[in-house]
Amino acid sequence: MLQPEAVELVILAAAALAFAVAFSPPAASRRELLGKGGVGVVGAAAIAAVPTFEGTLLALLALGVLHSIIGGKRPLAVRLRGPVVAVTLLGLGAFFARVQGPEVMERFAAVGLVAGLAAGVGVLPYLHPIDPDEPLVSSPVVWLAFAGPVLAAVIVQRAQSLLPVDAAGAFGAMLIGLGLINVVWGGAAAWLTESEAVAWRYSFVADWGLVLCGLGLIVADGQRAAIVMLFSIVLGRLPLYLVALHAPHEKVVTGRPVNLVVAAALAGSAPFAGFAARLLLLRAATQLFWPLAIVLAAGMLLWLPGSLRLGRSLGLPKGRQAVGVALVLAVNVAAGLYPLPILLAAHL
Amino acid sequence: MVDAVAAFVAWLGASVVVLADGRRGLALGAAISVAGMAVLALDAAGPEAAASVALGGVVAAAGRLRSGRGGWHIMPAGSTPRLVLCIAAALLALWIAAALTTGPAAPLRFTAMVVIGLSGARVLGADEPPILFTAIGLLALAIALAAGIGQIAPTPWPFLAAAVIAGLAGWISPRTVAAA
Repeated sequence: MLQPEAVELVILAAAALAFAVAFSPPAASRRELLGKGGVGVVGAAAIAAVPTFEGTLLALLALGVLHSIIGGKRPLAVRLRGPVVAVTLLGLGAFFARVQGPEVMERFAAVGLVAGLAAGVGVLPYLHPIDPDEPLVSSPVVWLAFAGPVLAAVIVQRAQSLLPVDAAGAFGAMLIGLGLINVVWGGAAAWLTESEAVAWRYSFVADWGLVLCGLGLIVADGQRAAIVMLFSIVLGRLPLYLVALHAPHEKVVTGRPVNLVVAAALAGSAPFAGFAARLLLLRAATQLFWPLAIVLAAGMLLWLPGSLRLGRSLGLPKGRQAVGVALVLAVNVAAGLYPLPILLAAHL
Repeated sequence: MVDAVAAFVAWLGASVVVLADGRRGLALGAAISVAGMAVLALDAAGPEAAASVALGGVVAAAGRLRSGRGGWHIMPAGSTPRLVLCIAAALLALWIAAALTTGPAAPLRFTAMVVIGLSGARVLGADEPPILFTAIGLLALAIALAAGIGQIAPTPWPFLAAAVIAGLAGWISPRTVAAA
């Protein structure tokens, strides 16, 4: 049976692709975007649709190979490394979950599944190397927001059904731990790194940290926080990143009102979708273990300086791109003020 | 007894893929490993699964003969760490499959673990597309084989999907990659 969160995330990925095609600058090839992006959406749908865990791994492997051979600036071996390491670790994790043996095998299974998930998505400690000149369709940053969400939703749900109760608890705890590392590292790196392209990548990683924390919190609000955060990645940060990629480079960087509003959206301020996700996450953490909420709240402050910088990187959007930015901001405000449809679609 | 021999053959083939750099060596390794995995798939999931693995493996091995560095190039100079990896992986997998874990199908557990591990390691340590895609083909087949562990009636679908991936990966040439 199809998982509602995964179906919703596939639809969101298709919407992000439609945005990229509609609002890409005239220089970009719309046909190439549509063709290769469409294959990506089909691959993500295949990951969600196959009924078994191993089927998901095979779909991930096929999608990873396709993503690697469509071209790019990085060597093929580097491009293949992420998905292959992910499939290897997830395969070994599933193996340890299925065999009969001492309890330590279940712990190995949880470690393999969490590590494989991190490698598949491309977050710490398995960051995929990036090249600032990488074409959009083969970029690992786009993979983070395009295929990653569906993969995470499917793997977490199936892993929890594979693991016994104790190991599922360990799996959740490791997701939270990994999420916190990504929050701190990603937030600090997005602020302090020199390259703008790298800063954008780390901002995705920081957002993914919150998603992992939400997925690891076993209460309903944690799952709700994760799905709203994924919405904000796919239909918030990704489209703004696409606009920033093609923004004209300014000699003197100045902060205009539009840049401040974009920075607020990227930082997860009210009334954008990221704010609703953060509130849900803090509520879930308070229900489970309140000191975690303090750590998360402190980590969320790291978004502010990095987001101001990324907001400025959009410059002054004009014409079609200005319409795109306005649309993204409006959608994120709507989702932030009234996230119920997103949650209902995911049956949460 | 047959399963134990098949598990050994599958490890031997995967080790040849790890140790070879030439197209003939890679094709031979893939063919040997697939022969062992097909026998195990027959026991675990029936004749359709075994036929899928065998067909996918043969197509992958045939495709590999078309491209890549010419000759065998098995155990070229500097391949001692790879040889150590193959032996160490086999010993570790044997200990886990036979001593640490319980239940029937120890050869299946050994093969799934050792082929997944060696294929993944081969991709991490290689740069040339023919080597990468040969290892990916074996990885796909081993993932399907792992689906048979702990299941009463495994379906042949994962084997069929893995065979398609392995077969197609075997025919991806460096020219295809460069043209994309």
